[in-house]
Amino acid sequence: MFHKLTQKLDQSFQIDPVDAHCDIPCGIYDPHHALIGALTVIRMVDLINDVVKTHGEGSTAEFINSMARYIAVKEEHAELTKHEIRVIYGDFIKDAHIEKYPQLPGLVHKIMQLGSKARQTVNRETALDLLAAVNEFAEIFWAIKGFETKVVKSPFPVSEDMVLPIL
Amino acid sequence: MILRLLRIRGHSLFPDFREGDYVLVAGFPFPSGKIRVGDKVVFRQPRYGLLIKRVHQLLENGHALDVRGTQIDSTDSRNFGPVPLSQVLGKVIWHIRQKDT
Repeated sequence: MFHKLTQKLDQSFQIDPVDAHCDIPCGIYDPHHALIGALTVIRMVDLINDVVKTHGEGSTAEFINSMARYIAVKEEHAELTKHEIRVIYGDFIKDAHIEKYPQLPGLVHKIMQLGSKARQTVNRETALDLLAAVNEFAEIFWAIKGFETKVVKSPFPVSEDMVLPIL
Repeated sequence: MILRLLRIRGHSLFPDFREGDYVLVAGFPFPSGKIRVGDKVVFRQPRYGLLIKRVHQLLENGHALDVRGTQIDSTDSRNFGPVPLSQVLGKVIWHIRQKDT
């Protein structure tokens, strides 16, 4: 009875959660999704600029539809990039890693800020800066894991650098 | 004394506490005195946020806590070390369980 009452209270007033946090100890972490997110943001900036060139700034239904879809994907992938980096930083990175790579907290903060700026603007330079910061994070991540890395050009419509592990 | 009502999220204290249970948490000074081994405490961990765990040991004359979950993969003092008392918001004084499903 008390639980049902509290649940009703929760639905009305949104009771704060407290985490009984668990990590699955499989150690599966990879900055790949963050890289794909950052590359997608660049692609969406390009597509937004293209659709403006093609349709002008007219408000046809097709223009509005395309623009809305590109913006939605840009928002989603900038946030995905931030989320993936937060998870690796929060769950995988330990104090000893930060001692060895003292630039990590600043770099993660920079990624958070660039991710937000990428959402707020349609700026290719910002999107490229976000990718560069994520690549820097990936390089450190793989060094911690004991893997050397290589820089390859992404095999997508956006051909930019990606830091990948040599497995 | 500050009282907080919080909702459990996660499985680190399963089966004692289940996701969706509620807890009433009392801040300092506690009605039942000091924190003891076995108490469930809520604290703000700088990296993981607001957490609930069981007190496993009292350290530094009671100024820090070694906290544990019940699961092998619980994120607890084995990951983030002792919890200073200054980070503790309070201890659970009422556990509102959901009915068995």
